[in-house]
Amino acid sequence: MTAATAAAFVPADVAHDGRAAKLGMWIFLATELLFFGGLLVAYAYARTHWPEGFAIASRRTDVVLGTVNTGVLLTSSAVIAFAVACAEDPAQRRWTARALALTAVLGVVFLAVKGVEYAHEWREHLFPLAGFALADVAGAGLFFLLYFVMTGLHALHLLIGIAGVCVFAGATRIAKPWATAPRVEAMALYWHFVDVVWILLYPLLYLVERHA
Amino acid sequence: MSSVAEATIDRVGDGSAAPAPSYLDDGHSLRSWLTTHDHKRIAILYAISITVFFFIGGLAATLIRLELATPAGDLVSHDTYNKLFTAHGVIMVWLFLIPSIPSVFGNFLVPLMIGARDLAFPRLNLLSWYLYVLGGLIVLVALALGGVDTGWTFYAPYSTMFSNSWVAVTLVGVFVVGFSSILTGLNFIVTVHTLRAPGLGWFKLPLFVWAHYATSVILVLATPVLAITTLLVVAERLLQIGVFDPAHGGDPLLFQHLFWFYSHPAVYIMVLPAMGVVSEIVPCFARKRIFGYRFMAYAILGIASIGFLVWGHHMFVSGQSLAASLVFSLLSFLVAIPSAIKVFNWTATLYKGSIRFDAPMLYALGFIGLFTVGGLTGLFVASLALDVHLTDTYFVVAHFHYIMVGGSVMAFFGALHFWWPKATGRLYPEVWGRIAAVLIFVGFNLTFFPQFLLGMRGMPRRYHAYPAEFHQLHMASSAGAVVLALGYLLPLFYFSYSLRSACRAGANPFGALGIEWQTRSPPPTHNFDRTPVVPEHVYDYAPPGPRPTRAPAAGAKAS
Amino acid sequence: MKHACLRDHARALAVAWAALLALMLASLGSAYLRLGAGNAAVGLAIAVIKSAIVVWLFMRLRTSSATVRIVAATALATLLLLIGLASVDYATRPVEPAAYELPRQTPSLAGARPVQGAR
Repeated sequence: MTAATAAAFVPADVAHDGRAAKLGMWIFLATELLFFGGLLVAYAYARTHWPEGFAIASRRTDVVLGTVNTGVLLTSSAVIAFAVACAEDPAQRRWTARALALTAVLGVVFLAVKGVEYAHEWREHLFPLAGFALADVAGAGLFFLLYFVMTGLHALHLLIGIAGVCVFAGATRIAKPWATAPRVEAMALYWHFVDVVWILLYPLLYLVERHA
Repeated sequence: MSSVAEATIDRVGDGSAAPAPSYLDDGHSLRSWLTTHDHKRIAILYAISITVFFFIGGLAATLIRLELATPAGDLVSHDTYNKLFTAHGVIMVWLFLIPSIPSVFGNFLVPLMIGARDLAFPRLNLLSWYLYVLGGLIVLVALALGGVDTGWTFYAPYSTMFSNSWVAVTLVGVFVVGFSSILTGLNFIVTVHTLRAPGLGWFKLPLFVWAHYATSVILVLATPVLAITTLLVVAERLLQIGVFDPAHGGDPLLFQHLFWFYSHPAVYIMVLPAMGVVSEIVPCFARKRIFGYRFMAYAILGIASIGFLVWGHHMFVSGQSLAASLVFSLLSFLVAIPSAIKVFNWTATLYKGSIRFDAPMLYALGFIGLFTVGGLTGLFVASLALDVHLTDTYFVVAHFHYIMVGGSVMAFFGALHFWWPKATGRLYPEVWGRIAAVLIFVGFNLTFFPQFLLGMRGMPRRYHAYPAEFHQLHMASSAGAVVLALGYLLPLFYFSYSLRSACRAGANPFGALGIEWQTRSPPPTHNFDRTPVVPEHVYDYAPPGPRPTRAPAAGAKAS
Repeated sequence: MKHACLRDHARALAVAWAALLALMLASLGSAYLRLGAGNAAVGLAIAVIKSAIVVWLFMRLRTSSATVRIVAATALATLLLLIGLASVDYATRPVEPAAYELPRQTPSLAGARPVQGAR
């Protein structure tokens, strides 16, 4: 438009522009990557300086529950990806809602299992506080500090994700107009990111060295 | 106050219908301001809050300079002095400089400059402001409780293990303010990508927009690292075990790597928007196209990218390996290149221009000169051998104040004067504007130039008492601070006065180009009454001709 | 997405899901092998492949705009830069780890704490 016109100003309409929500979420995930990234730097430092301590400490994590949880989260990712695909077809709205609800349920399962793990670790004095069970193993304290900070922050992010997915599940079920396909996709992007973080944490925390 | 009926849609400007109210008149209750989604109102909210913090940080600086006027540590105890310079740094960096130009002028102008109605996520914008205020209040609470004495850099192990002051509370405040920054950056990036007017390609964007885009990328990528670092420090303070404690196998330098990975790009968050402002002012008051527009845009991107590669230059004497220090020193030299390109291009823009020394131009010219001094002295401290002598002395203090105060704060004031008529619909008194600019320039140099000399002669930073040999230079510096303070206070008075004066500004009192000048002053809530015209060339200033006058609007609006 | 298209898409997702679980089990298994430094490498490599599947297929980076891809690439590059350039220091610094001490008693969780004794 190069000529001055007397037309009333009609700006780009943001509200229905799916591109904005998706791009915005990707940028937010970039910030989250750098947020967790700082912890990865600390981990890289600590593990390269205390390899034995990390190996010994890592063996005290519950590899069965950790693996189960990884499977749960991977499954939830597949389910929410399916929900996003359904969301693009208004005729599949009920399936979208069901898939979102199942995703949230799987997230809650993850948190429950994590809670059980934490309870075990508390009983076994693996929290790096007074009375730490591995106090005489150099680097073990750092391992468990990073373990609890990383998994704790991850769990917090997952909790927020569960809340968000529940809201979308409910909104989709009663066909709220704001729960558009691009917004569902943006929510799913967040969920997938939380999954990717766990994918990285799993070998770093549970699989340092499992052979005898 | 307004007798104009509230319009619900923009109206065709054919005179038959009453025009929509300006954004200032669109609701007068406090609630309408505190629940606004309008980027312009949010910019005003930010302007008021950062001004408050600027003066609090300035008060700390005043006490510092008062103490340093005499060699003996006689005004405050050493402990209080530590808390003063920490407060000054924390407030000035996180509560003033980082948000200043982006959150005030970026918020106000980016949608206007691209012909949009608002930012991409208006409610997120309001949340940014609330997070900023919350974080700022938390920092003030920590200050009231007794303050922090670690320096704004919070180095471990002092901050994590030995300081008796309110470290954790302050860092929580910083953490919250960080999220305010992140959301602002996210908003700007999405806005520039998705809401540009039809025909407004990337290389038709004003350099102000380029600068804010690059700043937003830095905000988004660097600030999260600060966030996790503050969490780790707080965790170590509370749990007594952490990755920064050598006794447990940790490394204090890890803190510095993580801290400076954010804090070096942070200085580019502080200077790039200022450069964007200067690139808007100089062509207007030289009546000439900016020289080398594309190189200016690429230089902005270059500064933003290379700025991520140089953080280790803050750690040359910390115990960092020599190899790493060499790498960081080389990279730090490289980052000077795009900065120099910008200075050369501004200078070339001035060459054979028809220069008017209005207040905004005085600030922009001040920026160019003072930023150059600051940038050149940056090369001094980027040289490994020199830095061993200069680090932790007043040389470094002078270096960064030349850039952040002589640079960014001057550009902030330049922007304030340049866009004041647009934002408020009033003209500030030009004579007083120029007086303040000169006072600030003189006061600034008197305050900070002696500090280069002090540093070279060995005066350490963060000391409240010093040997008598440094007395004269410190006296000069403190005297300069008085002049500088006067210069900063003056605008408070004449800007307030201008709000009450009858002199109204038209849409374009400076004869500037740029889409924001096509709408009235102050703009309506929806920014434009008519679809704005996208110019063929940005900065297409005519060759020297009749000068536009700073005349008030012919046919002033009904008051 | 129409019904038949949705079924195909669901099938693709199921294949990806199966691959992810298989990789997870491979990663688990490899930790029980005596690979020395290889354990870390294999574990990370498998994690990267799993992440790539999630990012490329589930997060639809495959069909996303150039802008989104640049955002993702820039974020990853910045993270690698942080880890990489910080590692230059750690890789070239002569380190003498301090003697390991037993952790101290946890103090109160108030903001101010008593000064620690010098070590």
